[in-house]
Amino acid sequence: MDFITQSVVIGLSEQAPLVLAALGFALIYRLTGLINVAYAETVTLGAYFAMWLNTTFQLDFYAVLIPTAILSGLLSVGTYLLIFRPAKRRNVGTLEMIIISFGLAIFLRHGLQFIFGYPVRFFDVPPPDTVWVLGVGVTSFRLVALVSIAILSLLLYLFIQRSSYGLQIRALASDENLAKVSGIRPLVVTVMIWFIAGVAGGLAGAFYGVGSSVQPLLGWRQFLFILLVVLVGGRWGLAGVIAVGVATGIALAAMTLSFGQVLYAQLALIVFFMALLKWQGKRLTETAKV
Amino acid sequence: MSLDWLDAFLISGLFEVVIVIGLALLLHLQLGLARIANFGIVGFFGLGMYAFGVLYVRVDWPFGDPWQFLACAALATVIAGVAGLIVGWLIADLNTDGVLLETLGFATIVLILATTEKDLTGGALGMGGLGFPFDIGTVKQNEFLWLVIASLVVVAILLYAWQVHRSPYGRLLIATGGNEALARSLGKPTYRTKILLFAFTSGLMGLLGAMYGVMIRFLSIENLGVDITLAVMVGLVLGGTARVWGAVVGVILTVGLFDIIIQSYLPLPQEWYTQAIPVLREAVFGATLIVVLLFRPLGILGDMRRDKLMEKIHGR
Repeated sequence: MDFITQSVVIGLSEQAPLVLAALGFALIYRLTGLINVAYAETVTLGAYFAMWLNTTFQLDFYAVLIPTAILSGLLSVGTYLLIFRPAKRRNVGTLEMIIISFGLAIFLRHGLQFIFGYPVRFFDVPPPDTVWVLGVGVTSFRLVALVSIAILSLLLYLFIQRSSYGLQIRALASDENLAKVSGIRPLVVTVMIWFIAGVAGGLAGAFYGVGSSVQPLLGWRQFLFILLVVLVGGRWGLAGVIAVGVATGIALAAMTLSFGQVLYAQLALIVFFMALLKWQGKRLTETAKV
Repeated sequence: MSLDWLDAFLISGLFEVVIVIGLALLLHLQLGLARIANFGIVGFFGLGMYAFGVLYVRVDWPFGDPWQFLACAALATVIAGVAGLIVGWLIADLNTDGVLLETLGFATIVLILATTEKDLTGGALGMGGLGFPFDIGTVKQNEFLWLVIASLVVVAILLYAWQVHRSPYGRLLIATGGNEALARSLGKPTYRTKILLFAFTSGLMGLLGAMYGVMIRFLSIENLGVDITLAVMVGLVLGGTARVWGAVVGVILTVGLFDIIIQSYLPLPQEWYTQAIPVLREAVFGATLIVVLLFRPLGILGDMRRDKLMEKIHGR
């Protein structure tokens, strides 16, 4: 019982940003069918924006979240308007789109080092308190991150599933031509999607960064898991992404406790997801899009 | 043989270019012809490099070089080929998204195993003990001879790729990449073709990894980053994914420019070489991928007559 409790508490508190990042990634994937590899850098830059605001203006971590969200959202929209929209208008193929996003990821990852410097950076925040949850010690930052992310994820889910804008987004994802005929403005809705996705990715990056350090590979190290969660969970919609994201976090924590090393846990999970993807075949990846 | 005219940086730069050209030629067969987007190049390259290193350093062979090298290199190639067979089977019926995930996943698995299996690989500390399978004099002379041998291997790959273009097998690959369902409906074994192509080319990527390991003589997990995949991909895309010479031209213009011209001949401040130039190199490579695919998707050599056929086949 202790093992299960520990796995759940550690998994939820440590991997909560994964759920938020996966939700943002899933929005773009569902709308455009694009595997945006550069989304990893939205996560990374979210951490850099938050760290920069925190250390430069001596702002409290929670005070930097809103400007971080806006900056990350604008960055995401910028990549869409400058790169992916022109590419789509030029009828660039799916495979080439992925390679473009790969190139963009590399460009952003290394370009940011010219702006923020090469060394690993840290937030300037007071040492967190330890809070005991079901007998497991969790830092206050992780606990607040968990609660914040749970609320943000729920709001995002409700926005997409229940609001009129969410309906427009889903309509556009299902059938662009039909959506246009229905009076939906694709550009406005698409920009909104990219902005929300950027907000989710940037905030996830900020939560990742404050929990450890801020470095150029921060988002890339999470990208494979974000991709796995979205491809596998996406077939059941956003709720599926949240469920698989939560399950992945708990499974990672449980296996880390069992194996004594997080890398073995990651290895086992990657192998499991790769086999699952093969088993589900093409159906799984196709159904994740709509 | 006096090699005073040859700078040590030039030898290592040329070696890097030769190895990346070899990998780009193999990616050309996978991506340019069969449209298999292998984002895990570094996984097969790294597996070959580490398999060779472990076999060469940790195993007590009853014979010395050059047979020890040949046995280890052959086994490393087979190991990378078997990994390619497994990954090829995993991706054979997946769409591009699935292929991305599986190949990226494989590269991550190789990185994790190289990090965790410290007794074999040295983990994060790295593994030394590798050397050339011959000794003809100075280090520079040995390196130069190794560069010549690697060049011959890459020329052999180039000739093979050229031959594939002109063979029925090449047309089968192009048909599989262009419209797999149609090719299958005509009775072509597309599934088997993709798996075997992937296994064979991945095995050769492993061989190039083993040769690279001999040159650097110290294996580190730093060599398993995404940089090598990027260098290969940007070179091939710039030159033209559908053309054999695209890999050669593209890699010379990208890796050659940075690893030879800038590293060896530009009089830049010394401190730039440790951080600024490598970071700038990657940023420029990333931007190049974007610009080329947006404005010249068939690459520099893309306007040649034969590409009309490729354009038609690939629906671009």
